[in-house]
Amino acid sequence: MSYKSLTIWILSLMVALGATTTHAQEADIEAGKTLFKNHCAACHNRNMKDDLTGPALGGVEERWADYPREDLYEWIRNSQALIAQGHPRAVELWNQWKPTVMNNFPNLTDQDIENILAYIHYEYTKKPEVAQGPTGETTSTQPQASDNTFLIATIFVILAVLALVLARIVANLNYMMAAREGQPAERKTLMDILTSKGVVSFVIFALVVLGGYTTVNRAIMLGRQQGYQPDQPIKFSHATHAGLHKIDCQYCHDGARRSKHSIIPAANTCMNCHRAIKKGSKYGTAELTKIFASIGYDPSTDKYIEDYDQLSQEEIEKIYKKWITDEYVKDNGTLDAEGELEIEEQWENIVKSLTTETKTRIQGEIPWVRIHNLPDHVFFSHAQHVSVGKIECQKCHGPIEEMEVVAQYAPLSMGWCVNCHRKTEVKFADNEYYKSYARMHEEIAAGKRDKVTVEDIGGTECQKCHY
Amino acid sequence: MENKTKKNHTWIGVDQLNKGAEFQEAVEREFQDVPLADNVEKLATNRRDFLKYLGFSLGAATVAASCDIPVKRAIPYVVKPDEIVPGVATYYASSFVNGGDYCAVLVKTREGRPIKIEGNSLSSVTGGGTSARAQAVVLSLYDTNRFPGPGKMENGRFTQTSWAEVDKAVKGSLSANSRVAILTSTVLSPTAKKVLEEFKAAYPDTKVVTYDPVSASALLQANEECFGQRVVPNYRFDRADVIVSFAADFLGTWISPVEYARQYAANRKIEDVHKAKMSRHYQVEAAMTLTGSNADHRVLVKPSEQGAAIAALYNEIARKAGKPTVSAPRVNDKAAALLKQAAEDLWANRGKSLVVCGTNNKGEQVLVNAINDMLGNYGQTISFANPSLQRQGNDPDVQQLIKDMNSGSVDAVFVWGANPAYELPNAEAFAEAFKKVKLKVSFSGMPNETTALCDYVAPTHHLLESWGDAEPKRGMYSLIQPTIAPLFDTRQAEETLLRWAESPNLNIEAEQPYYEYLKAAWERDMFPRQTKYATFQNFWDMSLHDGVFELEEQEPSVAFAGDVQAAAAKITKPANSELEIQFVETVHIGNGQYTDNPWLMEMPDPINRCVWDNYLMVPVVFDGHRHFDCDGPFAGFNQEEFYGYADQAEIEIAGRKAVVPVVRQFGQMRGTVGLALGYGRTVAGKAGVNVGVNANPWLTIDADGNTQYFNTDVKVLGKAGKYEMASVQYHHTMGVTGKLEGSDEVINVDEQAVTTIKEGYQGALVDRTIIRRANLPELDKFVEELKEERREAEHLNQQTLYPYEEYKEKYYSQGHHWGMHIDLNACIGCGACEVACMAENNVPVVGKYEVFRHHEMTWLRIDRYFYGDYENPNVVYQPMMCQHCDNAPCENVCPVSATNHSSEGLNQMAYNRCIGTRYCANNCPYKVRRFNWLDYTTADLFPINENEVNGEAIYADNLVRMVLNPDVTVRERGVMEKCSFCVQRIQEGKLTAKREGRKLEDHDVKTACQTACPTGAITFGDTNNEKSAVRKQYESELNYIVLEEIGVRPSVQYKARVTNKVEELG
Repeated sequence: MSYKSLTIWILSLMVALGATTTHAQEADIEAGKTLFKNHCAACHNRNMKDDLTGPALGGVEERWADYPREDLYEWIRNSQALIAQGHPRAVELWNQWKPTVMNNFPNLTDQDIENILAYIHYEYTKKPEVAQGPTGETTSTQPQASDNTFLIATIFVILAVLALVLARIVANLNYMMAAREGQPAERKTLMDILTSKGVVSFVIFALVVLGGYTTVNRAIMLGRQQGYQPDQPIKFSHATHAGLHKIDCQYCHDGARRSKHSIIPAANTCMNCHRAIKKGSKYGTAELTKIFASIGYDPSTDKYIEDYDQLSQEEIEKIYKKWITDEYVKDNGTLDAEGELEIEEQWENIVKSLTTETKTRIQGEIPWVRIHNLPDHVFFSHAQHVSVGKIECQKCHGPIEEMEVVAQYAPLSMGWCVNCHRKTEVKFADNEYYKSYARMHEEIAAGKRDKVTVEDIGGTECQKCHY
Repeated sequence: MENKTKKNHTWIGVDQLNKGAEFQEAVEREFQDVPLADNVEKLATNRRDFLKYLGFSLGAATVAASCDIPVKRAIPYVVKPDEIVPGVATYYASSFVNGGDYCAVLVKTREGRPIKIEGNSLSSVTGGGTSARAQAVVLSLYDTNRFPGPGKMENGRFTQTSWAEVDKAVKGSLSANSRVAILTSTVLSPTAKKVLEEFKAAYPDTKVVTYDPVSASALLQANEECFGQRVVPNYRFDRADVIVSFAADFLGTWISPVEYARQYAANRKIEDVHKAKMSRHYQVEAAMTLTGSNADHRVLVKPSEQGAAIAALYNEIARKAGKPTVSAPRVNDKAAALLKQAAEDLWANRGKSLVVCGTNNKGEQVLVNAINDMLGNYGQTISFANPSLQRQGNDPDVQQLIKDMNSGSVDAVFVWGANPAYELPNAEAFAEAFKKVKLKVSFSGMPNETTALCDYVAPTHHLLESWGDAEPKRGMYSLIQPTIAPLFDTRQAEETLLRWAESPNLNIEAEQPYYEYLKAAWERDMFPRQTKYATFQNFWDMSLHDGVFELEEQEPSVAFAGDVQAAAAKITKPANSELEIQFVETVHIGNGQYTDNPWLMEMPDPINRCVWDNYLMVPVVFDGHRHFDCDGPFAGFNQEEFYGYADQAEIEIAGRKAVVPVVRQFGQMRGTVGLALGYGRTVAGKAGVNVGVNANPWLTIDADGNTQYFNTDVKVLGKAGKYEMASVQYHHTMGVTGKLEGSDEVINVDEQAVTTIKEGYQGALVDRTIIRRANLPELDKFVEELKEERREAEHLNQQTLYPYEEYKEKYYSQGHHWGMHIDLNACIGCGACEVACMAENNVPVVGKYEVFRHHEMTWLRIDRYFYGDYENPNVVYQPMMCQHCDNAPCENVCPVSATNHSSEGLNQMAYNRCIGTRYCANNCPYKVRRFNWLDYTTADLFPINENEVNGEAIYADNLVRMVLNPDVTVRERGVMEKCSFCVQRIQEGKLTAKREGRKLEDHDVKTACQTACPTGAITFGDTNNEKSAVRKQYESELNYIVLEEIGVRPSVQYKARVTNKVEELG
């Protein structure tokens, strides 16, 4: 089936939609969105236009329009069964996408599928957003810290010059007075003024104050790491994953909604997609092979290596060098000297990335570098902020979907936390939990209060974070 | 009677009664001053320290200058297990089993490491309660003294080998006709019993010999004789209105204390003051036990008089029942009178009474069975349906084994879960005989006196690494599942035995062979016995999830068939000696099974309040006027107890001498002394080595072969020097009473301060409210008095500058306001909450010397007060922790506002703000704040600040640190800390409710002490929530607030202690 112009396409779809009502009741886009997020979004791109692990879904109904609607349902519920039956469309897709197998969803009802399809259609046909999603919004909420240093310096210089001029005038006047009264007088030079007791003591005083101020400020800053952007063992790009492919943050950081930790995803989470996407768009085999080498997956055979734990470094090297070499040959035709160098470099990099002073083996966990370090005596819960406060990740982590290498965006200082707690409004009305604050509810109802901030319900008290 | 004391007079020790000013001065000094010179070797700076200082300065300068960020790693899982969410605790149902000790538990794990024990409320045996011993099991998992793997022992020295080598060596020395003895303590596991059967099948000449560290052998023998069942019957303390216990410490140590404590408290709690009803409890004993301290009447008899006392009660009842009496030796007059009263009460409550006996004399046990039979208690308060299997040992068997080993008729001995070379009364004879055996193997995971004598050690997993099951009561099954992979190269003893037996049922290729074996056993034996689940997998999953699988048995009909006359001839005869000694099992360390657990060693013995030692408990005598002293040969001992010094006594028992420190013990009978078992271990984990005196060699064996826990041949040879006394009884006292110098008048210590120093503070002149207590018949009068008193206190509290009402209106009246309620009638003082608090809140262990210096760190302490007769007083236990005062005196004096109040009524402590002035501790009227004098958790740079506990810097090891709760800050040296009402649990509970979008309920937040309590004495919750349990508890008319008159507005209420005494008996 080929694409025609948009108008024709929409028209045909409207007809199709009219027809679908015979199959199912009215489709619910919102329900479809939830279903899509839960079941499909791990493999299918949310913009419906680009392929991911699975094909782009935009226009799926049209592509299946030649067959009974039931076939599409069947396909979604159990694709392998349909392939086995030799359904022409199914076989065509399989040839295109094998060996990637689509998960089975036997629990989806016809209505569910209709909802998902409606959402796909809605998403596929809606106009592209102008603004860059949550980024624009969140960055604007951060007030631009205006830089007054220049102004202050200018004023300081002007005042200093003024003081000097005045001092000169006073000295001259004194001199003139003394001269008029016939007393022996000496004109004070600029040097005299600058080395006078008053000026010297003022300078010393100023230095002490300034030095003290700087020391205290620097001391407060000790251990704070705003802007900290360490190199990670794998050049994982949030810009690619969260920005380009719009993978939900909580797909990988699945602790954020239910734990104090947001959780660095385990390697098997990466494998959910990267079993299919074995080469990266930017670094090819260089970075992704690190994940494979960590978990023990052989991309050449598409199998997890048995007893991977027992293998020696040489055996591991053989497996992954073969993969890298094969891919190099595939891309460049032959294995030249440059290629050999490249492969060696890649391998050395893999070894370096997966080992640390304390971890000498390649197998096992990936030693990510921790960026956000809170002191031990601070308790912070992601669940509270994400699930209950419904705060966007970007509010604290910045435009993460634009970051190639993640940097610490917020200062993570106590003042920063407390300020936010002072300003942020509690989701007071929609959570039954807050019913226990009866008086505040009354005040809101009576119009005496327009909002309840975190501080109002004790969010700046010591033991909310320190225990 | 002169011994009677006036209303509300309670006391904590002799010095308070004897002395006024001196004592008062001592208690007012919060911390003991020890000259710095004592510590001088610790203070000396050596070259290494100098280099460290130098390095530190240099390092500090470098850090300040360059501020390089140290790289911290964030290590994720490779393949994350589904059930684990980092940062969220996972609970697994399991069982705490150690020999016959049992408790159904939930193990709290974080990121795969067990950190806390909670009770399993699905178990009908323990009902969600726990014991101190169960709470402490997580620490023993991370014990650095555990065997790292199998090993060969040569002259007590351990050399690690491989399992293959041990297997080869053992199997090589065994043949089909080897005469093997497997020496165990009580085996609760039905599957382990099958393992033993399989082993017997492979080596038919195998004998399994079982004994208990503290024996109940006679009880089992008596039940076998009387009812044909060698079991401990199912006691129902909740159904008994009159309880008479002959030396059975059923609330502390006897058979199944968690179960009995729950039942006992159920019939002691007072819900409705006007229809109050509770059981009456007589305890017949010489040395005070936990149970005795909770009794309404303690009947004092010497250990050798127990038999006479039982016979006397038997005769009283027999006369009423019209049965023939038995010949009985005379029992002392006071005891005879009390026993007569007890008999009246028992007879009046036939079928609703219960007599239990903890002595290890078969004749006495038969007589007690006969008494219960005459009272018609069988089928009512005692049942043979689901009888207890928690004691199975038979003392004569182990004595026979010693004989067999001596005669060379034993080829191999495997020791499993037992430490006979320490625990047996004739451990030396055992050791001698043991040496004659060719092959000696112990399965112990920890070094002990027996492993030192063995040829091989085949260490079994720790309980929390094991698979297994337990049958604490017949038909009441309970599973044990591992909560962490084995930390060392250990192998479960069951698997070891099956391998040696070459069992075809053990699949050694399996990843966890014993797990498969256990599962198969359950499929074969348990699954067919139920109908609820259709497939085994379902049944197994649910049993594992619940932790328990219970089958109620029908009440069988039993008939008493004991020979009473023969039994009466067997009872102990009163000895003529001047002094007798009773050996007692303590609540926390048993007979040494728990000695190497630092948490338990640091838990004060509820009875003598000492830690890290066993003290000779000597009676306090009163001359009727004003002088208190120690009894008889101990006169003049321990005059400086309140300064923290004890005297040591040189004693000789049955020809064996020892030097023991003395503690004056109220309620210890004149002419007797008491000493705890379980100390003086020579080979153990570091915490337990050479602490105290080993009492086991002084135990005797009676004609039936049963171990006797007393000795009548005691001589006191004299004083043997001073001793630094680590007793917490005089620490952190608050407003206790004393005596005016030169007068008999009992006054408040603060009053003394006011009259001598001529100044004071508000509240000092009133009779301070600490303990409120009443006797059941006068309850109505007491309630009226209490109301009046509280009205007065409230009137005083109104005269204040502190705008309490305004704060209450503005902050505390909405949202949450946390409060606690403690029922002193349900609190039995067992200390489970103390250990639970240490585990939950990372409270450090400080060791004997630091406790001697008043530096114990416990956030929750159990204060012990006496009242009534000076020589045989009643006891009341009072759990005391931060009261979270809404008008907290500590908060006002903090110069840096490190402690302040939250809108939820919590007295918050911000450690990182604290600068250690300790003003707050000084100003706390309840004395609940604790200061980190040293670096108890070894987080510091300099060893000079570190603290060693019995030669071991416990928390310095990373393995031990795995026990720390990651949700609670580990405090450093120089900061103050105290009970936080488990704020981490509050926050977690609030978050759960918020995430589920519902109001917070009681089950969301429970403090560690609350969940640990076996009797439900502690209730915690939101007092702003009308439906909360704590609000309901707050309504009782028996409630009072400690030191209410000083106007600090605490958030903890106590419910008065009520006894059910017969008034004329006193």
